[in-house]
Amino acid sequence: MGAMLDGCRVLDLTTERGFLCGQILGDLGADVIKIEPPAGDRARAMAPYFRGEAGPDKSVLWWSFNRNKRGITLNIETGEGRELLLRLAAGADFLIESFNPGHLSRYGVGHADLMRVNPALVHVSITPFGQSGPKAAYEDSDLIIMAAGGVLILYGDEDRPPIRMSVPQAYLHASVDAAGAALIAYYERLKSNFGQHVDVAAQESVTLAAQSTPLTALVGGSETRRMAGGAKMGAIRIPLVWAAKDGQVSCVMLFGPALGPFTRKLMDYIHAEGGCDDATRDKDWIEYGAQLLSGAEPMSAYERITGQVAAFFRSRTKSELFEAARKHNLLIAPVATIGDVLENPQFIDRDYWREVEHPELGVALRYPGPFARFGATPIAYRRRPPKIGEHNREIYLDEMALGEARVAELARRGII
Amino acid sequence: MARGLPLADVKILDFMWVLAGPGITRAMADYGATVVRIESPNRIDPTRTVGPFKDDNPSIEHSALNSNNNAGKLTISLDLTKPAARGVVLDLVRWADVVCEAFSPKAMRGWGFDYESLRAIKPDLIMLSTCLMGQTGPLARFAGFGNLAAAMCGFYKLVGWPDRPPSGPFSAYTDYIAPRFGLVALMAALIHRRRTGEGQYIDQAQAESALHFLTAPILDFVASGTNYEPVENFDPNYAPHGVYPAAGEDRWIAIACCSDDQWRALCSTIGRAELAADARFADAAARRKNREAIDAEIAAWTRAQEAIDAERALQAAGIAAHVVQDSTDMSEDPQLRHRGHFLRVPHPTIGETWVENSRYRLAETPARVARPGPALGQHNEYVLRDILGYSDDQIADLAASEALG
Repeated sequence: MGAMLDGCRVLDLTTERGFLCGQILGDLGADVIKIEPPAGDRARAMAPYFRGEAGPDKSVLWWSFNRNKRGITLNIETGEGRELLLRLAAGADFLIESFNPGHLSRYGVGHADLMRVNPALVHVSITPFGQSGPKAAYEDSDLIIMAAGGVLILYGDEDRPPIRMSVPQAYLHASVDAAGAALIAYYERLKSNFGQHVDVAAQESVTLAAQSTPLTALVGGSETRRMAGGAKMGAIRIPLVWAAKDGQVSCVMLFGPALGPFTRKLMDYIHAEGGCDDATRDKDWIEYGAQLLSGAEPMSAYERITGQVAAFFRSRTKSELFEAARKHNLLIAPVATIGDVLENPQFIDRDYWREVEHPELGVALRYPGPFARFGATPIAYRRRPPKIGEHNREIYLDEMALGEARVAELARRGII
Repeated sequence: MARGLPLADVKILDFMWVLAGPGITRAMADYGATVVRIESPNRIDPTRTVGPFKDDNPSIEHSALNSNNNAGKLTISLDLTKPAARGVVLDLVRWADVVCEAFSPKAMRGWGFDYESLRAIKPDLIMLSTCLMGQTGPLARFAGFGNLAAAMCGFYKLVGWPDRPPSGPFSAYTDYIAPRFGLVALMAALIHRRRTGEGQYIDQAQAESALHFLTAPILDFVASGTNYEPVENFDPNYAPHGVYPAAGEDRWIAIACCSDDQWRALCSTIGRAELAADARFADAAARRKNREAIDAEIAAWTRAQEAIDAERALQAAGIAAHVVQDSTDMSEDPQLRHRGHFLRVPHPTIGETWVENSRYRLAETPARVARPGPALGQHNEYVLRDILGYSDDQIADLAASEALG
C-alpha cells in the first residue's frame, strides 16, 4: 500500500514563508519539486548555519523545512522560465507559493494563467495579510505578523515591551494551515475534478495562538494581558511558570468546575508535604475565582497563597515535582532545554527522532520525527533537503526530455 | 456547476475536549463536515470555564473561547458511565466516517471504544487519538494542557529577557500548533480512504507535532551544540528589530528592518536622515552591535506618535512595522474586516456572540460558519431522531436511563 499522497506532484515555490507546507505534503508521500531561483531560495541565506559557517547549502533553517523534496532552479521572471513553469504546472496537482500578491501575475504565471493550463490545480498562496485588502502590500516579518495577529501583546513582562518567541513561528503556523487547506481543496477536487485558489494570510493564521482573546473587545469581556511567566486574565494574575530548586516548572493553578479540582489536588499534595496549612488547602477551589471577582476573597489572600505555592516549588527539584505530578495527576511539567528534549525518555521510547544523512558533509543529523503516527500509511523520511539545483538533470533531462543542448543553453543564460 | 462544501459528505464523531482536539474538528465543520460532539454532563469541558466571556459573564454558555473553538458543530450530552449511552455511541460509530478523541490513552480502552473494537463494527473507520505525549511510552498517561507540553518541548526558554528567568509563551502554546497538524492528518487519511477504501488509526502526540516548530534550534543543537537562551526581540538576520513605545498606556509599535534600504528609509521617516550615513550603522551586523544607540533614536520618535500613525508612516516608507494589536485594535483592523475575519452569530441561549472565521479562503468553496459552539445538550433530540432515526419510545427510554445530560 502506497503513501497517502502517492502519485501527487507538488510544485513548491515558497521561501521561509511557506516551505513547511511543501515538506508536510512530501512527508505524506507527494512528489514535491522545490523550485528556486538560480541563486537559490533567499532563506538559504538565513541563520542558523551548520557549525556557524554561512553558505547556501549550510543553512540549518533551510534544511529544517525542505526534506522529502527534490530541488530544481528556474528563473520564472523570464519568458522561457515562464513557459517551463507552466509546463510543469500542467502536470502538477498542487502549486504552493509565497510571493507578494500580484507578483506572479506580473510574469504571466498568476492564478488565471495557472488555471488555463491546469484547471484541476490546487494553487496555494501564503502571504502576510492575504491576496487583497488595505494591508496586502504591507512589508512584514515574523515579528510584524505576531504583532498584527494579536499574539505579541500577550508575550513578555508587564513592565517592559512585549517580546516574541525568538525562533520565528508566524509562517510555520501559516504553512501548516496551508497544508490543511490544500488537502481540503484536494479532497473537494476528487469529487469535482476542479482545483481552486487557496489564500492563506499569516495574520489570520497566527491569531489562533492568541487563544480567542482577539474576540475580547467584540464580546465585551475583560482583557488578557502579558505577565512574566503567566498572564493577567482580567483582574486575576495567573502564574504559569514557577521557579524550582534547580530550574523552572510550568504549573496550572486555576479555578472553576473543570480546573478547580486540579488545584484541589495540588493543594492536597503541598499540604501533605507540609507546604501549607489546613485552611489554605481547604479553600473552595471551584468557586475561588468567583470569590476573588466578587471581593468575598481579597486579592491579597490569593497572592499570599500563590506566594506559599511558589516557596514550596522553590524547595523541590524539577524531577521531584514532575514525579509528584505523575503520581497525583497534577498539572506540573519541567521547563526543558533543547538538550533535555533530545534526552526525554518518552521521545526515545517512541523512536521519534529520525537520523538523516547529509553525505556531502559526512554527518547524520537528528530531525524531529513524524508529526503523527499513521497505522496504515506511515510517514517516511525519504530524502534529505536538496542542494541548489540538485535535481535539474533528473527533471529537465530525464522527465521533461529537454535535451542536453537546451539544458546547457538554459543554464548558460541563467534561466536554470 | 455549483460546487458544494468540500467536506459535505464527511461525518465525524467527536469525543474531543479542551483546545487542541476540538480545534481540528472546528476547521472541518467550517468546510461542511457534520460533526457530532459528545460532551459529558459530569465532566465539563474546561474551555467553557475560560474567557473571554460574553458580557464578562463567566457562565458555561458565555465562553467565547468555547463558542469559537466549537463553531458549527452539533452536540449530544451523554454520560458514558451509563450502560444505555454505549448503544448510542456504537450507533454513532456506524454512522461516522471518522472518530476522534483527545482523552488520556486509557479512557477509550476503558469504555471499549478503542480502535480495534470500533473497527470490528466499522471496517473502514478512520480514528484519530490526540493527546499530549502519545498513546505509548513512559509518559503516555501524563495528561494536561498545552503549557505542559510546551514546557517539555523547550518552547519556554525561547521567550524572555537575558537578565530575568524565561517567561515562556502565552498560555497553552502546543494547543495552537497541534490542531493544524491534526487536520492535515485527518485530511490525508480521508484522501487515502477515498482512493483505496482503507481506513486507519492515527496516534498524534501533540508534543511530537509541535516539535516541528523547533526543528531549526534542534538541528542547530545537534550540529553545532548551540544552546538557546532568552534574547528578548533580538534577531540574527535583521536590525533594528524590536518593539518600541508609542503614545498612550501600554501602546507599542513593532519594527523590523529587513534590509539596508529599509534602514535608510527608517532614518528619513524618523527625521534622522543623517544616521543613514553613520558608519556605526552601515549594515545589520554593525547595527546590532550599536543597538542601544539606534533603539534610543527610534524610541524618541515613536514615543510621540499614536501607534497607528507610526505604522502607517513606516509602511508608507516601505518599512516592516505594525501596531502591537490588542483585541480592540483587532476588532477595528481594516484588513481583518476586509477578510471577514470576525463573524457575529446568533447563540441559542445568550442572544448573539462573535466567532472567528476560517483562517484561510478557498476561492470556489469558501467556509460557511453560521453558528457558534453549541449549548450543552443542544442537539440531543436532533442527533437521536434525525441522525440516528430513534423513535419517541427509544428516546424516552434513554432519558429515563439518565444517560442523557
